[in-house]
Amino acid sequence: MHRVILAAALACASAAVVLAEDKAGTVKTELYTVVDGYKVDGNTMKGFRTWRAAACDRCHGANQEGLVGPSLIASLKVLTKDEFKTTVVEGRLEKGMVAFKTSQQVMDNLDNLYAYLKGRSDGAITRTKVEELKE
Amino acid sequence: MKCTYKQVVFSLALATTPLAAFANADVEKLTADPKNWAMQAGDMYNQRYSKLKQVNDSNVNKLQVAWMFSTGVLRGHEGSPLVIGDMMYLHSPFPNKVFAMDLNTNKIVWKYEPKQDPAVIPQMCCDTVNRGLAYGEGKVILQQADSTLVALDAKTGKVVWSVKNGDPKLGAVNTNAPHIFKDKVITGISGGEWGVRGFVAAYNLKDGKMAWKGYSVGPDEEMLIDPNTTTTWADGKVTPVGADSSLKTWKEDQWKIGGGTTWGWYSYDKALNLMYYGTGNPSTWNPAQRPGDNKWSMTIFARDVDTGKAKWVYQMTPYDEWDFDGINEMILADINVKGKATKALVHFDRNGFGYTLDRTNGALLVAEKYDPKVNWATHVDMKSGRPQVVAKYSTAQNGPDVNTKGVCPAALGSKDQQPAAYSPDTKLFYVPTNHVCMDYEPFAVEYTAGQPYVGATLSMYPAPGSHGGMGNFIAWDAGAGKIVYSIPEKFSVWSGALATAGNLVFYGTLEGYIKAIRKSDGKELWKFKTPSGIIGNVFTYEHKGKQYVGVFSGIGGWAGIGMAAGLEKDTDGLGAVGGYRELNQYTDLGGSLTVFAIPGGN
Ligand code: HEC
Repeated sequence: MHRVILAAALACASAAVVLAEDKAGTVKTELYTVVDGYKVDGNTMKGFRTWRAAACDRCHGANQEGLVGPSLIASLKVLTKDEFKTTVVEGRLEKGMVAFKTSQQVMDNLDNLYAYLKGRSDGAITRTKVEELKE
Repeated sequence: MKCTYKQVVFSLALATTPLAAFANADVEKLTADPKNWAMQAGDMYNQRYSKLKQVNDSNVNKLQVAWMFSTGVLRGHEGSPLVIGDMMYLHSPFPNKVFAMDLNTNKIVWKYEPKQDPAVIPQMCCDTVNRGLAYGEGKVILQQADSTLVALDAKTGKVVWSVKNGDPKLGAVNTNAPHIFKDKVITGISGGEWGVRGFVAAYNLKDGKMAWKGYSVGPDEEMLIDPNTTTTWADGKVTPVGADSSLKTWKEDQWKIGGGTTWGWYSYDKALNLMYYGTGNPSTWNPAQRPGDNKWSMTIFARDVDTGKAKWVYQMTPYDEWDFDGINEMILADINVKGKATKALVHFDRNGFGYTLDRTNGALLVAEKYDPKVNWATHVDMKSGRPQVVAKYSTAQNGPDVNTKGVCPAALGSKDQQPAAYSPDTKLFYVPTNHVCMDYEPFAVEYTAGQPYVGATLSMYPAPGSHGGMGNFIAWDAGAGKIVYSIPEKFSVWSGALATAGNLVFYGTLEGYIKAIRKSDGKELWKFKTPSGIIGNVFTYEHKGKQYVGVFSGIGGWAGIGMAAGLEKDTDGLGAVGGYRELNQYTDLGGSLTVFAIPGGN
């Protein structure tokens, strides 16, 4: 829990390139599309489902704000996508971070998981629980 | 909250050799001498009471630090050391170090540190805690996180025997303290959030061979339940459970990953030859996936120690919808219940009800809320023994993907594993409690072996419309089912209480204070700030004519996690934010033992 304080102090380093902010309330990047802060494209939705099913929240907090694991809101401002993937696949067992390489769902959804968490970290996704955008 | 899964290997062995009587006699003799602290609860009844009274309500204000010891381990320190004569045996969270210390010199006589695969760390739901050691017949018993149960020679620290109790790769890990009853070492399993199927197993103290194993759920034979002679409370009377009492209450094969783990504190009544413990939540946390009562999760079990056979069962929360694990300790006490002398079993369940049963046969006598804020059920129907669930707080009736708000208590329970104390002087129970409510949103999950199997998102906050704190320390009359006094605490009280003949009760707080209150009226007489938050249990012993009181500090555990959860809570600004956020103003990680005494001659 001391990590949370650290994490909060880290704040902002990079943000995804916003490709379009066409109409009010829509954010579109190369990773995700978000409307009104909580309606997301299908892949980002899969990322959220994976986050929930893998129970990342039990260590990183219901809102990714950090618990025994660090705040991913803060982490994803500094971690690269490759670093993110390596951490999730291989874990850091000694430090208490799970290796998810045996979880089919996580392995199939690494990009989606990243998109969802990056959207949360960028501030584009304003609610933890998202809904699928209906075209 | 967790449990494990293992293939069915079970053997019924009747071990009643003369040797058997000795082990019991040894621990019994050691616990009868109040100078020792020879079991985690001080005795086999789970009373956490000491006859020592050199430190008492007239001089406790002079209590000072006698010595301190760092375990060198961070994270949550639960349980307490044991004291046998001149020796103290200490344990730590993962990596589960054991120290044997000579109290004459404070020198470490031996140290044991098992080699465990670090992969077990993230397989533990709620921090890498360990609730302590057992001692009997010259052996120190350690239940490692990776589920290995080891007997160490108390003189040398050498391994005498070692057995594997579960498969940590499947989430079957251990946090509980082993217990020695008769000639057996009794242990359970964690992993309810991994779909582990709970059991209690008995190993021979002599050689580590498994004597019996009784599952919480599944076919009768594997639960060691006899449909005709194992009883339960139904229809206002003690009634045989009947055939397939568990299987009938599960959808298809869900029981195989059905939870009901057993990571609490166990107690034993020698006269009845029965041991008592509770089983945890059914898996998953999404009730929609497991319609039925999910027996015998959330249940008090009374088992014959020789054979493991279940004598009686009582399910507190049929069809759990809130993660109200039933694992909290069963305290055995001979008290008056509604005017009648009773061999009672008293249990403060996570679900917020304080239960009093007749421990000889499992008859339900009292079931009352021990926190007035409990709202998920109006009351327990005394005839059926079932809680009357309030629809608004039913996460099953509201369904998956709906956030059920304002349920009290939270999944942490009105009390979690932190054990209460009983004082035979006052006939009252002294209970560390949580005063926390929650929002609970279940969702569908698929089971993958070795992966978490949770299926709900929770947020927790101090009970609204109360004193704003997240805990209370209460005195409870289990005969009447009434709170006698209640002391508000800023944070959950996650430390085991100790009652003494010196008219004192001790407990620790998450900020790191150890406190002494006057047993009779709850007045605070003394407190001291230890290095870190306290989730350990207070214990006492006498050495060279002087009484000592000690406690582990080292914040962590689920309480620590729960706390941190509130730190950046952005959802509800009401009473929620205040409580938890402040904890980091008081404490940080770090495991140590602090031992107190009154300086000089007494
Ligand atoms: C059992 C607890 C636990 C679970 C479950 C867990 N994590 Fe972690 N995670 C940790 C801990 C602890 C760390 C910090 C490790 C360290 O100190 O380097 C961490 C670190 C990370 C990091 C690196 C952060 C940084 O700043 O370096 C990422 C990314 C991450 N986790 C993502 C995830 C995702 C995604 C999931 C779910 C698929 C997940 N974690 C599940 C405990 C956990």
